Amino acid sequence: MPFDWMKIPYSLLTLFIVVNYGFFLNALIQKMGARAGRRYGIPIWQNYVDMIKNYGLRSSITHGAMFYLGPVFRLSGGVGLLLFVPTIYGSYMFSNLSFAGDLILALYFIFFGTLGMALGAGESGHPHAAIGVSRGLAQVSTAELPFALAVFAVALQYQTLSVTEIVAAQQGGFLQWTLFTNPLAVAAAMLGFLGSMMRPPFDVVIAPQEIPIGPPTEYHSAYLALMQTNRAIFPIAKIVIYMNLFFGGASDWPTFFFKVFLIYLWSAFVGVVFPRFRVEQSIRWFLIWAVPLGILSIILV
Amino acid sequence: MVNAIYIIVAALGAAFLLGLLKSEKRGTAYVITLFALSVMTWISAGWVWAFVMERAAPVDFLTGGTSPPFSINFRMGLPEAVLTLLASLTGLLSALYMKDVLCALGQRAMAVLLVAVMALTGIILTRDLFNLFVFFELAIISTAGLMLLSEDARALAAGFKYLIVSQMLSVFFLIGIIFAYHATGTLNIDGMATASLGLKAGGAIAFFFLFIAVVAELKPFPANGWGLDIYESAHPGFAAIFSAATSSAVIYAVDKLLLIGGAEWLPMATGIGVITFLAANLFALPQTNDRRLLGYSSIAQTGLILAVLGQRDILGDNVLYIAGGLLLSHAIAKAGLNWISGLVAGRELPDWAALRSRPILVFAFVTFIAMLSGLPPFPGFYAKWEMVRILAGEGRIALIGLILLGLLIEAGYLFRWFGYIIKREVPAQSVRCSPFQISAIFVALASGWALGFVWGELSNQYFGHDNLLLAIPVVFALTFLLLDWLPAWVKNSIAIVGLSLFFYLTFSDYDPLRMIFAIIFLIGGAVILLASYDSKGRRIGFYPATMLMFAGLILLIRATDTFGFFAAWELLTIGSYFLILRGKHSEPHALSYIIFSLGGAFLILAGFALAAQGAPLFNIDALAQLTQPLAPWVFLLLAIGFMTKTAAIGLHIWLPGAHSEAETDVSPMVSGILLKAGLFGLIVLLMTMGKQQLYGVELTYVMLWIGALSALLGNLMAIFQEDAKRLLAYSSIGQMGYALFGLALMNHLGWLMALMFVINHYIYKSMLFLSAGGVAKRTGTRDMYRMGGLITLMPLSFIATLIGIIAVSGVPPLSGFGGRWIFYNAIISSEYRLPMVIIFLAGPIAFLYLFRLIHTIFLGQLKDEYRKIKEAPFWFILPQMIYVALLLAFAVAPGVALRRVDTYLNQIFPGGGLQWTGTEISSAYGYWNPVAIMIIIAVIFGTLFAWLLFVNRKAQKVKQFNIVYAAERPYRPETTHFAWNFFAPYRKALGFLVQPFATRFWDGVTNTLHTAADISRRLYNGNGQSYAFHLLSFVVIAYLMRMGA
Repeated sequence: MPFDWMKIPYSLLTLFIVVNYGFFLNALIQKMGARAGRRYGIPIWQNYVDMIKNYGLRSSITHGAMFYLGPVFRLSGGVGLLLFVPTIYGSYMFSNLSFAGDLILALYFIFFGTLGMALGAGESGHPHAAIGVSRGLAQVSTAELPFALAVFAVALQYQTLSVTEIVAAQQGGFLQWTLFTNPLAVAAAMLGFLGSMMRPPFDVVIAPQEIPIGPPTEYHSAYLALMQTNRAIFPIAKIVIYMNLFFGGASDWPTFFFKVFLIYLWSAFVGVVFPRFRVEQSIRWFLIWAVPLGILSIILV
Repeated sequence: MVNAIYIIVAALGAAFLLGLLKSEKRGTAYVITLFALSVMTWISAGWVWAFVMERAAPVDFLTGGTSPPFSINFRMGLPEAVLTLLASLTGLLSALYMKDVLCALGQRAMAVLLVAVMALTGIILTRDLFNLFVFFELAIISTAGLMLLSEDARALAAGFKYLIVSQMLSVFFLIGIIFAYHATGTLNIDGMATASLGLKAGGAIAFFFLFIAVVAELKPFPANGWGLDIYESAHPGFAAIFSAATSSAVIYAVDKLLLIGGAEWLPMATGIGVITFLAANLFALPQTNDRRLLGYSSIAQTGLILAVLGQRDILGDNVLYIAGGLLLSHAIAKAGLNWISGLVAGRELPDWAALRSRPILVFAFVTFIAMLSGLPPFPGFYAKWEMVRILAGEGRIALIGLILLGLLIEAGYLFRWFGYIIKREVPAQSVRCSPFQISAIFVALASGWALGFVWGELSNQYFGHDNLLLAIPVVFALTFLLLDWLPAWVKNSIAIVGLSLFFYLTFSDYDPLRMIFAIIFLIGGAVILLASYDSKGRRIGFYPATMLMFAGLILLIRATDTFGFFAAWELLTIGSYFLILRGKHSEPHALSYIIFSLGGAFLILAGFALAAQGAPLFNIDALAQLTQPLAPWVFLLLAIGFMTKTAAIGLHIWLPGAHSEAETDVSPMVSGILLKAGLFGLIVLLMTMGKQQLYGVELTYVMLWIGALSALLGNLMAIFQEDAKRLLAYSSIGQMGYALFGLALMNHLGWLMALMFVINHYIYKSMLFLSAGGVAKRTGTRDMYRMGGLITLMPLSFIATLIGIIAVSGVPPLSGFGGRWIFYNAIISSEYRLPMVIIFLAGPIAFLYLFRLIHTIFLGQLKDEYRKIKEAPFWFILPQMIYVALLLAFAVAPGVALRRVDTYLNQIFPGGGLQWTGTEISSAYGYWNPVAIMIIIAVIFGTLFAWLLFVNRKAQKVKQFNIVYAAERPYRPETTHFAWNFFAPYRKALGFLVQPFATRFWDGVTNTLHTAADISRRLYNGNGQSYAFHLLSFVVIAYLMRMGA
């Protein structure tokens, strides 16, 4: 199959839109969380300022090769995840690089960045980094489970692993969305979603109070800037998958922005209401509350 | 041919002659003794030659000038010839062995020895009942006399107790003879047989007395305390005769008596035999005294042969082949072991570690225990196979179960003993031996191997099986025994060339499925062997074991019938056992490995035997033709047997220790390669038998659950390990669980995924084991928390580990992802949903232990004591780099390995395969393009990396302790390296899942066996009266069982 070189600028365009929307959304959600806690919150452009500052920092150190590569892994993971999934349904322009693989590719590529960043953080030799990673891995192993079950339920339901085909099957009114055709799977997935958004009650991984910022402890300057860029892309990329699988996808950018915002809000909404779990508590929580829903969705589909 | 009577005449004449010599002419007396024994041996050997090579007919020799029943007749047939040869040769070798003690005690002792051997040959040859009695009496008296040869103070008491019991037996024997004579009017055994003694009035009771008197000489349970005391206290030279020759003679006497008794006495012989076999083996378990242990084992073996004789109604003509194989194996092995015991100073089993100073004795020992355990290529193996086959054909399943259980226990204590020899501290007193003694042992050793060849040939002739000693891989492996004097690197080169050459010569023989295994076994083995170049010196024993394992593996995939398959299975089991045992602390683990493996092998044996339904040659493909109700049982037995090898959960407890304690280059072999043998077995099983139902339960569905649970619990246990190699070992349990799961899905893609796992697991697990082993070699520990920060010192090992963990975890773009992708596609088309949940849970857990592996070793804080260590040795790194290249290549082009298999699988599961269009691979549900993925990720990664290099070009490398640490410098890396109990929260949340239930269960089983044995063996309290009572109760119980019925 000849490669269409136009895919590259198109993909970069998607990337550009998502990065900016991500910066905006991160700040917006953070601000909403602050307001719920009766605080004023950050300015909406704060993330841009932070990133420019970090790129501009002159002092820069490294702990070794893996430390250096950690943020590269991290951001590659985010960018790859975004580009392996079509962003806008029905649009060739924004189908990105999804020809390379289906849903399973995206699911497993999620770990690419996590793993690389964890390794880089590990080389810094800072115990907080290792503590954060050990917590994060422990938590994600069960938080991903309800999501994986839901994905499997959806794949069973539509008998395909292609994201495009899954979205196609949900067209024709919102009642066709997986949300309504397979509510159990969506419920399980949305509970699992909470575990991967680094918000309370599942934010012990970065544990803002006790182990300042967890895995990225030693990262600064351009490293941190790279990771911040990823923080703008990665949640959106992940939400795109949720949106495509469960909420009918988006056939234009406004729908996209709206749906992504609502899904993102869900984690903030829960986060401002509930206090934080310890890791073993969240492991049990996912196994007790989310996983049975996922199992039911698989059996009943 | 020389008249057989001269065997007896020679002994008697020499014994008389000895009496005429002056007492100081001990040297002359000894020469006469040896001469007489040589003559006896020569005559017997002549007869064996005549029967075997010239197909002579059996001959009757008359005495007293008239024919029976008016005179005594001796018969010389093939069994008699072999047994007299055995008796006189054992006598001759023992006489050589006991030169010192015989010369010290003088010609009377020699005369007694001659009489003893003569009496045994008499028992074998005579066809007259009263004459049999006379020879028995002679044997008893001379035995009691020979007991005095021993320096052991207890020998006198043991001899006396023996006399008490023997006299009771003689009384029974005599009474029996009187009644039998009264009933039939003849003393001739054949005459009595034709007169049908049992049908005459009082005949049954007469025969009972005869039978019980002779059987009791075999020391049946429980009337055998006296026999044990003899074994324990006799001179080892005599114990050899007592064990090898006396038992054989008495067994043959029983065989003759059974002619008289007829078929209705056979069940009794079987019953007594099998109970004795089990009880003696069980009681041997807690023994610590070597000679008493040998005694128990001898009793057990004769019990087994008695049981076989009791099955002659169904074994028919094969009884000679089977009982003969067992008997000769037993006789040679026991004679050899008793002789060796005389060379060892201490009487405790670990004292035998002294043998390590003489490798030839270790080799002899292992040959002997292999013969006793019925392992290939010895006669016992062929006998075991044919016996189980015929018994299964006749539906005598319970008997098979009991015999195999007994064999397993026996192998357990024998291999435990071998473990002591190899692993325990060498005692201060070394092995002392004369050339005579060594030569006796050497003859036993040589005859063991020679008989292995003979039985192989017979097996080929009568049953159409291949002679294992003629199979090229086995010959190649055994050649290394002769080459063991060469330096290791020469042998290593020969091994690598041998494996590669064999692949080159045979690669056109394999179908695509077998091709994968052939490549992993042969080429994969050669690659791992590169790491063995690191070993210096001669590395005695490594290559025979390794090549035996590879021989077994390759014969396994080349096998077409069940016999060849099973033989290969046992060969690879033994080879790998020796390999695993080489590890520094692997003694208990190697033992549990061999016990589980043999247990599994016996299940396979039983399964094959059931399937064959008595047919001597059974093609593996014919498994497909089995029908209900047999098929599910065969399936069950075989499946459990194979799953023992893949360490399915519940049967897994041998694996972590065995794989982690093995040597650095052995771990990848046993993990990366050997585990695949179990998968191959399962593939063959599922390919031929397909889905089977037992009581309405779909057995493949059960396997699905076992696979899922293995994956989950293997992974879960891996994350709690502190030992790097143990972590990898547990991870193998998980990985094999995935593969098992894939196979049990019973669809096209499930199998493809399993095969992908086969390839992947070979590559990355070999690589990771080598990497972890190299690090352990440099740091001197396998505890990961002691390491840390090694990335700069061992960068290549780090890269191998990094690539390895990415591949294991299934993260794109490496080849693990392909496995995961096929997995998802496979499960969508499967109707089973619940076990998937478990597999899903298992998946992410892999990240936990993988991260831990790489982080705690290579990242984090470097410790002061390791600041100067170097990269792992070149020969460890080289194969790792080959694996890195392989993984990358396999990631980009999985089609090279999988495409042909995918097409081939259409024969088994039509449809449902993959489409391979260009670089894209697609299924009915999804698609992926490995090349595109690799390029996209490389481009993104490269771009971002270049960007970071640009903006961060002035980054400056800082020292280890320069971290944000509350303005402190953490100069104690031990406390800063976050490593120990890395996933503590996980243990708190899910630790209950990894309670060692299976370990506790199997510990409970072994403890129960040991405790039961330990309590019951107190039955033998050493008191002569107790022994007399045991004998009486044995007789009474036997009477009630037989006559009361």
